[in-house]
Amino acid sequence: MSLQKPMNEKKRIFCPGCGLFTIEKIIAEEMEKIGWDKNNTVIVSGIGCTARISEYFNLDTIHTTHGRTIPTAEGIKIANPDINVVIISGDGDLLSIGGNHFVHGSRRNLNIKIFCNNNRLYAMTGGQSAATTPKGMKTKTHPQGYEMEPLDPKGILKNNKNYFFSRTNTLDIEHFRNATKQSLEWEGFSFVEIISPCLADIERKLKTDNMKELMEYFKKDKENYIYEISHS
Amino acid sequence: MNNSKKYTKLSGPEALVKGAKDAGAEFYAGYPITPSSEIMHLWSQESTTKDYDFVQMEDEIASIHAVLGASLAGKKSFTATSGPGFSLMQEGLGTAFAMQAPLVVMNAQRQGPSTGMPTIAGQGEILQTQYGTHGDYTSIVFYPNSVEEMYKYTIEAFNASEESLSPSIILADAYLTNLQEYASLENVEVKNRGKQGLTKTDYDRHFTGLTSKEDGEVDTINPEVYKEWIDRRRKKVLEVGDRYYFYETKENTKADTLIISYGITSRIVEEIVEEDNSFSHFRPITLFPIKENVVRNIAKRYKNIVVLEMNEGQYTKEIQNILKRDIKHIRVSNANPLRKDILKELKSL
Repeated sequence: MSLQKPMNEKKRIFCPGCGLFTIEKIIAEEMEKIGWDKNNTVIVSGIGCTARISEYFNLDTIHTTHGRTIPTAEGIKIANPDINVVIISGDGDLLSIGGNHFVHGSRRNLNIKIFCNNNRLYAMTGGQSAATTPKGMKTKTHPQGYEMEPLDPKGILKNNKNYFFSRTNTLDIEHFRNATKQSLEWEGFSFVEIISPCLADIERKLKTDNMKELMEYFKKDKENYIYEISHS
Repeated sequence: MNNSKKYTKLSGPEALVKGAKDAGAEFYAGYPITPSSEIMHLWSQESTTKDYDFVQMEDEIASIHAVLGASLAGKKSFTATSGPGFSLMQEGLGTAFAMQAPLVVMNAQRQGPSTGMPTIAGQGEILQTQYGTHGDYTSIVFYPNSVEEMYKYTIEAFNASEESLSPSIILADAYLTNLQEYASLENVEVKNRGKQGLTKTDYDRHFTGLTSKEDGEVDTINPEVYKEWIDRRRKKVLEVGDRYYFYETKENTKADTLIISYGITSRIVEEIVEEDNSFSHFRPITLFPIKENVVRNIAKRYKNIVVLEMNEGQYTKEIQNILKRDIKHIRVSNANPLRKDILKELKSL
């Protein structure tokens, strides 16, 4: 049985064309391939658009308090180490409001898999700046452009002796799939940052819903980052 | 002392940890804070030798959510904290209530608000147990007044939590967590939730803080779904709370004044009522939910009702709201609660 609930039975709240469709599909497929299922795997999510993803899996899933995916997942993992614990949440949830748990969770290094949908702003609340917002990017709360450098999750992870980090993009399926596979196989705390722009936000900014123009934007945006799979 | 009972010398934290273990608790996540840290020290010691889980988290927000996760995974879980930490835990308590996850939190009250007086006892979080998190949350709250009771009501708190599928709160204070006394430990029957841990059912479940139907289907628009959702949770807690309503009374036939007190302050009132027959005493051990008819029945026999507490009148307001009559309040000194001062105040009412 597919780990994804059929789309015709469970309507997704995501905007048409959102990267979250890809994220759901790739993670579900890679988990299925290694035999992760209802009997051994749970998904934890936090707040925002991405957090609603947990609802769409044929697994026991926990949509916890905003920002608190990591401690909730750690409680599950410590109480029952046999469970595969996967977090799928957004950059706001994991790196802004939940930033402290990211710092210390990575140090505790429990075997927890984190997939972070990085759209570089708060999408569901309407496009405010996040810890991951690039310098100069215009947002609802920084109409003149965000003035800080974005938080670098790899920099935090690399402070630890053991770490797994990948940055990938929903437009590069093969890389994303490979990063997911390696992350699931990693023994310890792993973090996959998935660059995936918020479609609604880009439509607002470009004042267009023309898919061709949007794709051009996405491709250009993709070039702003270095993609990698690196670990200790 | 009744000679047929066996007495053991125990501290408040020892009684709580023993109670938790005897109730079947296996998981503790916490963050150090005076005057509750002793409980964490004792539990971390347990976790080195036996099959008990312990994790020291980065703050109280993380602690309550680790406890929540462990509870969903199927283990009886708890934490202990004090005022500032209890404030940080409020949102997690609301999430546990929404997800119907049983867990226990002990709050050793100190003097607040803010950092306040960290080593001095307080009773400032009485109403926070009911109104601390956003939304129409409610919880079952126990406040023991001795080491002996700390043991008993820790087990009852776990039982109430397991049955209500919601957080139970044990209130204590800086006195109770520093107290050592002889205690005769009562045998309390242990209750377990009729709910399986994560991955253990043959159907999948979605635990969410969002409003949802009984089958877990999220619905954040429909007011009827909300009504059904909040009622189901509140009713369960209130019904179970009703069965866990514990109290004590000491009534003098000549008394015209009823003193209501709870927790550590009730120890002083017990002595006063023993010596002065113009006073009677009602001591709720379960502070919430209040069994209103019990309070009304006792109160109707008295001309004066006075609530004695180490705060500005938190429980006084709750009692006043139930009795719909004028209730007096005496603020007991946190640092130096002397019987003669209290008696003077009682006489001058």
